[in-house]
Amino acid sequence: MSIRRVYRWDLDKTYLRTDFDSALGLLRAAFEGAQSKQNVPGTAGLLRELRRAGSASEVNRIYFISGSPRQMRPVIEQKLRIDGVQWDGLVLKPNIENMLRGRLRAVKEQIGYKLPVLLESRGGIEPPSPEILFGDDAEWDAFIYSLYGDLIAGRVEGVDLERTLQLARVYPDARARILRALHMVPPFDAVRRIFINLDRRTPPTHLAPYGRRVVPIYNYFQAALVLGETGELTPEAVIRVALEMIRKHEYEVEQLSNSYQELLRRRTISGAIGEALAVALRDFQTPPGMPSAEEVLFSFQRRVRAIAHSGRMAPPEDEPIDYPTLFVREQRRHHEAKARRKAPSLFE
Amino acid sequence: MISIAVDTMGGDHGPADFVDAVAAASINLNVEFLLVGHERTLTALLSEREHNPERIAVYHAPDAVGQYEDAGRAVAAKPDASIAIAARLVREGLAQTLVTAGNPRAILLTADRSFARIAGVGNVALASVFPTETRRGEKEDPFSLILDTGAAPRATAHDLVAYAVMGGAYASVVSRNLRPRVGLLSNGTEEEAELTPEIREASAALREHPGVHYIGPIDAMDIPRGTADIVVCSGFTGSIATKLLEGVHETVLSLARYAYKERAMKRAALVMLQGGVSQLKQLTDWEQYGGAPILGFEYPIIRAHGRSHARALHNAIKIAAKVAGSDLIARIRTGLAACPPDAGDGASS
Repeated sequence: MSIRRVYRWDLDKTYLRTDFDSALGLLRAAFEGAQSKQNVPGTAGLLRELRRAGSASEVNRIYFISGSPRQMRPVIEQKLRIDGVQWDGLVLKPNIENMLRGRLRAVKEQIGYKLPVLLESRGGIEPPSPEILFGDDAEWDAFIYSLYGDLIAGRVEGVDLERTLQLARVYPDARARILRALHMVPPFDAVRRIFINLDRRTPPTHLAPYGRRVVPIYNYFQAALVLGETGELTPEAVIRVALEMIRKHEYEVEQLSNSYQELLRRRTISGAIGEALAVALRDFQTPPGMPSAEEVLFSFQRRVRAIAHSGRMAPPEDEPIDYPTLFVREQRRHHEAKARRKAPSLFE
Repeated sequence: MISIAVDTMGGDHGPADFVDAVAAASINLNVEFLLVGHERTLTALLSEREHNPERIAVYHAPDAVGQYEDAGRAVAAKPDASIAIAARLVREGLAQTLVTAGNPRAILLTADRSFARIAGVGNVALASVFPTETRRGEKEDPFSLILDTGAAPRATAHDLVAYAVMGGAYASVVSRNLRPRVGLLSNGTEEEAELTPEIREASAALREHPGVHYIGPIDAMDIPRGTADIVVCSGFTGSIATKLLEGVHETVLSLARYAYKERAMKRAALVMLQGGVSQLKQLTDWEQYGGAPILGFEYPIIRAHGRSHARALHNAIKIAAKVAGSDLIARIRTGLAACPPDAGDGASS
């Protein structure tokens, strides 16, 4: 049996709604049970659909890699089971080990933790399996995933990798692990898309330097739409993700159709998925209590018509990423975002 | 979810300030915003700001009516101007209210073409808010509402009564002032012989109106004092009064600025008075009020000042959200239905 796709997911703020901005939030995350953990709306449905999109001869693999401590494994696994999510790997951070070794920086630092794990995992996968990655804007997911994708595609010079790891103050043993793992990976341009959940509402233009491979999303219906348009999911699967968001997370049809319009406006999708959804909805039996197919179609079509005459603009061409420069820029952006979160709003 | 149509092309400063205001409001308020303007520009601006796109839909408008354009001609020639599309969205039931900082005459003409008037309303009224010494209502709003300030130069007694009813209903919703004091702007006398026939007739009708807390005719000095919460007058008088008040305020501030630059002694004196000056500035800071309503149509419109920046527009949006989620139009209808039968039905115009 071959691997059709590899989906890699971060956990906190990507799959789970975790508040690690406050000490109280951190404590709660550490001690709450699986039943109390909350999903980011649509994630459970989307993961089930991604798994289901495989076939008898080609499977879709799902791996989680998280900065949460290893002690949380039982709770996280239980949560995944409650959500009906099947997974193939779950890597958590050895935080106690890091602390015992006096590597306090490693408790927070993500590049030196996630990059070797990703590369080592890739080493065990057959070369032609493409990957789609899911992260968020709270930490460094866009950077790490992009660097990982370009490393395995052979697009990053050794000197740039060295400089980047230096700037990130990655511990020497982690650096050695990265280089070792990289040598074991056969070069292949595997990373097709990197979805970044905008938990912190980072303006999408801030992620533009990563190119079109990185897709900022405000919710997982948007991710499902993009995956639907690229053929990863069927239109029916996209509809099921939407229904979960309506049923379990009280989403309104207007919110979903606005999300669709936003992707069209950003030129992330062409609209082909909208047409496919319209066809699928004609035969789709929405469960009782759910908005009717006509209502959904009307709402979507109205938002498409609203921007129909605004003219199309070709998305800009991607430039190769200069990782050391991007690292410095990202560091500054994270500091500025943190300061902004603390500053009083003009509108208060 | 409440929906508000926002005409982003009307203000003096272009759509960026509107986008700032809506982006912040989309995070803080459970309201859907229908942003009307040039789609590509709006998308580019939104993409640079923290916002919640689940609560924002963009409606492309290829045209706009300029602040100083001839409104009649522009409205006729530009059926796809942003104000026209925003009004259409409200008329079609996709939004409950409209926020604009556009050309006032163009707003009135567009609204007149798009919306019916509430039964019993002759002239619609353009309201303005003016900062006052006293505070009012549950929200302790430090401003009074003046209407009409220019929608129609003349007003019959019937119009004046309707303005009082509409202003009162608005104050009850926005300031949560359940018994707003209504004054008819005049020369302050109670002597019937010295009042114009319209004011005399409206005054008599308002005394009889069970839903209006009428305090009698007031004079212009009572406006900044805050004697009345609702100041009712014809558009001609209201326009003169508000421009005079604005002019005085600007002159006082520019004199203070001049004094500050001119002499060290005066500068020192102003520094000593800093607390008071900043209080005065805060009191007269129109940006904190944001917008005022146009009342009389079946749909409320919130008009922000053309010079508004993001903070004022954000406040105008907050007012619009409050109005959209309220029963303002029903309150106005009830108030108008309770008018005494001979409440100046136009005879004195």
